[in-house]
Amino acid sequence: MHANKTRNSLATHSHPRARVFVYKALLIAQLAIGLPLAAVSAQTDSAAVPDLTGIWDGGTRARPINGENMPWEPANFPVLNERALAYQQVWEEIIAPKYDCQPASSPAIQYDPYHMEVTQWPDRVLFRYEKDDQLRTIWLDGREPKATDFGVQGFSVGHYADGALEVVTTHFVFDVAGFDDYNGIPSSSQKVVRERYWRDGDDLWITLTVEDPMFLREPASYTTRWIPAREGYKLAAYDCDAESSRAMVRFFPSKYK
Amino acid sequence: MTRHRTLLTSLFLASFSFIGLALPLTAHHASGPFYDSDKPIEIEGVVTRFVFRNPHAALFLDVTDESGATAEWQVELGAPVMLRRVGWTPDLLPVGMVVRVAGPSARAEGAKGLLGRKLTRADGSPVLEGGRTQDPTPTR
Repeated sequence: MHANKTRNSLATHSHPRARVFVYKALLIAQLAIGLPLAAVSAQTDSAAVPDLTGIWDGGTRARPINGENMPWEPANFPVLNERALAYQQVWEEIIAPKYDCQPASSPAIQYDPYHMEVTQWPDRVLFRYEKDDQLRTIWLDGREPKATDFGVQGFSVGHYADGALEVVTTHFVFDVAGFDDYNGIPSSSQKVVRERYWRDGDDLWITLTVEDPMFLREPASYTTRWIPAREGYKLAAYDCDAESSRAMVRFFPSKYK
Repeated sequence: MTRHRTLLTSLFLASFSFIGLALPLTAHHASGPFYDSDKPIEIEGVVTRFVFRNPHAALFLDVTDESGATAEWQVELGAPVMLRRVGWTPDLLPVGMVVRVAGPSARAEGAKGLLGRKLTRADGSPVLEGGRTQDPTPTR
């Protein structure tokens, strides 16, 4: 256990033995009521389930601030195709939908320097981001997205393997700033984001890889970490305000009239 | 007395050395497209409105220039979700309060705005009791 990490109140995450006990209890209960085993199959091997639960700080205590060269540095900067380069030509900062409170999405939201809370349930993992009040659900029960399951955060499925949580997210809507708005790189409905989360000591790590054949010639990837939130920290409501979000747009000298 | 100063380079160098470095804006957006760090400005004015909402707090001031003309200026500040952690509240800057603000000026021609890098009371003291005079735009 980590003294300065805020814990979820669920007993299932307070101690590995307790977690195993609860998982077994859930398994027995599930068998008793006749639900399919697939819903808990990914959870039953306790050695493969990392403890990711808690509130995590992705701010400057944990990693460099995001910007034009972070997390996409020269060494891992995405190789853009001609379509992406053309989009960059017409890109202007104020076209980004965030100026109308559209939330950040993958792969940007994972690197935003805010807190996030992770909750692990037997059939899903919940990522709640303080920035933009976003909640992502990672389904562990084997379900697949329907053809119409598109959204800003896409549709995420995952499983535990080798002490890590592996996530694949598809069904993103097109976003003119969906890869990275600091560099004006869009993303398409063919974007696929793969995430791998694991613990190293007190810290939570992620390696994130993006594929998008509409705009990228090859997958692009970064690795970063969160540190435990300070004791007692609770996520605050963001409640993006449309007027405040757009207030500075009039200070931008647009080349378009 | 309200004042409007422009391009006081030496004062600005002193200001930035005091705060260490010009801090990035917020997680929401880069400051460069909107504000010109090569054109710093310092203003003093009377608070007419303080909007303490995410993604950016905004401060509106009535500023009187040397000719006696008064105009409203808009100051962009940090994200309230961040500012609250260091003691800021929606009541911190009440209407009628006189403050000084320094930071990069807005890029658009004729725009009356700046990014608040340093914010103090008229006498130069911190706006937050026991607080520092910097970090109205804390790191993201």
